[in-house]
Amino acid sequence: MYTARWRNTGERKSDSGEGFVERSQVLFFAGSGIMSNKKLRRVGLSQELCDRLSRHQIVTCRDFLCLSPLEVMKVTGLSYRGVHELLCTVSRACAPQMQTVYGIKTQRSANHLPAFLSTTLSALDEALHGGVACGSLTEITGPPGCGKTQFCIMMSVLATLPTNMGGLEGAVVYIDTESAFSAERLIEIAESRFPRYFNIKEKLLLTSTKVHVFRELTCEEVLQRIESLEEEIISKKVKVVIIDSIASVVRKEFDTQLQGNMRERNKFLAKGASLLKYLAEEFSIPTRRKEHLYL
Amino acid sequence: MQRDLVSFPLSPAVRVKLVSAGFQSAEELLEAKPSELSKEVGISKEEALETLQIVRRKCLTNKPRNDSTSDTSCRKCTALDLLEQEHTQGFIVTFCSALDNILGGGVPLMKTTEICGAPGVGKTQLCMQLAVDVQIPECFGGVAGEAVFIDTEGSFMVERVVDLATACIQHLQLIAGTHMDEEHEKALEDFTLENILSHIYYFRCHDYTELLAQVYLLPDLLSDHSKVRLVIVDGIAFPFRHDLDDLSLRTRLLNGLAQQMISLANHHRLAQVGNIVQITKPERMHSTVSNHTSGI
Repeated sequence: MYTARWRNTGERKSDSGEGFVERSQVLFFAGSGIMSNKKLRRVGLSQELCDRLSRHQIVTCRDFLCLSPLEVMKVTGLSYRGVHELLCTVSRACAPQMQTVYGIKTQRSANHLPAFLSTTLSALDEALHGGVACGSLTEITGPPGCGKTQFCIMMSVLATLPTNMGGLEGAVVYIDTESAFSAERLIEIAESRFPRYFNIKEKLLLTSTKVHVFRELTCEEVLQRIESLEEEIISKKVKVVIIDSIASVVRKEFDTQLQGNMRERNKFLAKGASLLKYLAEEFSIPTRRKEHLYL
Repeated sequence: MQRDLVSFPLSPAVRVKLVSAGFQSAEELLEAKPSELSKEVGISKEEALETLQIVRRKCLTNKPRNDSTSDTSCRKCTALDLLEQEHTQGFIVTFCSALDNILGGGVPLMKTTEICGAPGVGKTQLCMQLAVDVQIPECFGGVAGEAVFIDTEGSFMVERVVDLATACIQHLQLIAGTHMDEEHEKALEDFTLENILSHIYYFRCHDYTELLAQVYLLPDLLSDHSKVRLVIVDGIAFPFRHDLDDLSLRTRLLNGLAQQMISLANHHRLAQVGNIVQITKPERMHSTVSNHTSGI
């Protein structure tokens, strides 16, 4: 019997709830915003200054940078020049590193990280300039029944193939919101596309164990699952993350006729997207979100 | 100098002590020595020295009001001066002739340009093209500068920039072929793929805190890399849209950012370190959803 591993919703990963400031209601994700959540104590400021700031509920770099220079002067008692130097110190602690584009390019080729995952459909590969881009988010949209889920299942097979056959030789995380994933179909695709490679039962079993399917049925659960993905990616050597489909959960929960829902919906989509983008860039994996378009 | 003490950027604690000691205007303060001041007011000697330095610096810059020729911090000039400046300033071509015509030659230096539009229309592509075009040598009509690319959305693709740079090199080689000039040949020797890519400085900001931090550090960066002529912020409003619920804070931070960038352009123009164009790219700031679902 061939089975792909099923996993129902796991336990919730606790978000780092420290630093909750009344000023803004921001959830601190496990993945993004690591630099901005940095505690001011670790930046190199004096203990006395940190204590003074924490009395005004300014604990992280984010809280500090949201203040205007006048507010900082009032809170710290420093002169304008001192405030300016302090701002530079804190900024240096959480600003991103500079890279030249040439540096990025040479780093990628040195690590032998492929820039694209070929879809083995030559016309599509040509249009996409090589295939699905690694390290970024790809959206697949289309009317119902045009083959999006099938495409995603096929990409799962391709990702598990060894590199000399054009694959990424890694695991796949498949977040399924519609229960559309069929393990039987996965095996069928593998056998018919690559009959010579998948001629032994063991190879089929191996491929199916590499696809980790998570069934999430609400927006909240999807977001939690994405937040906890980082550890999965590292431990299981995941190379592709697929979400099938983001549009269905959103449509179920947010009725676009109602006024307030639009904002909530966008907020959810944007949060999910930024988390996925962070994961994609950090681990250089292609992430795919599937959408339906109902006219 | 009858200027009131309250208008100086002193620390609040020191100011309170000075006022309660009876000092009202800058003139009274300038007569004192640091050690005398510290004893009288009750502040440390270092604080007294710092205070006097701040006051002295401000007073000195205010003195030569009539002597405008040597005053480089003075921002007044006539419209004729500005006209001459605008005629001589360079443009960054976009390689789209229709767009260049509308803009009057290309993206102007010393100005802030905003690019907005629906998702998928080509804003990031245009920004990447400009990051390559700013490096075109002067003999081909470019500004021979470097570029800073601050990315908040992650849509920057290295492979695409390689394509753009390669195409630009080929285009210039064709032009050089028709001119058959030594100057052009020599300029092309330096205009290689490696050089182009090395002169685009890339920063990836994942949220608005990193963006704010990066903009605070821009002045130092620009003084270190004096050849930068272009600063691109790809998606200036994007990190503020989903992370901040407090609308007034969001507005304040965004406006503060815009002000900082404008002052950056002006300041570097005065110091004549470099002429800078900034392209900010706010996508729609209000939260209406565009027609397709990928409106992020």
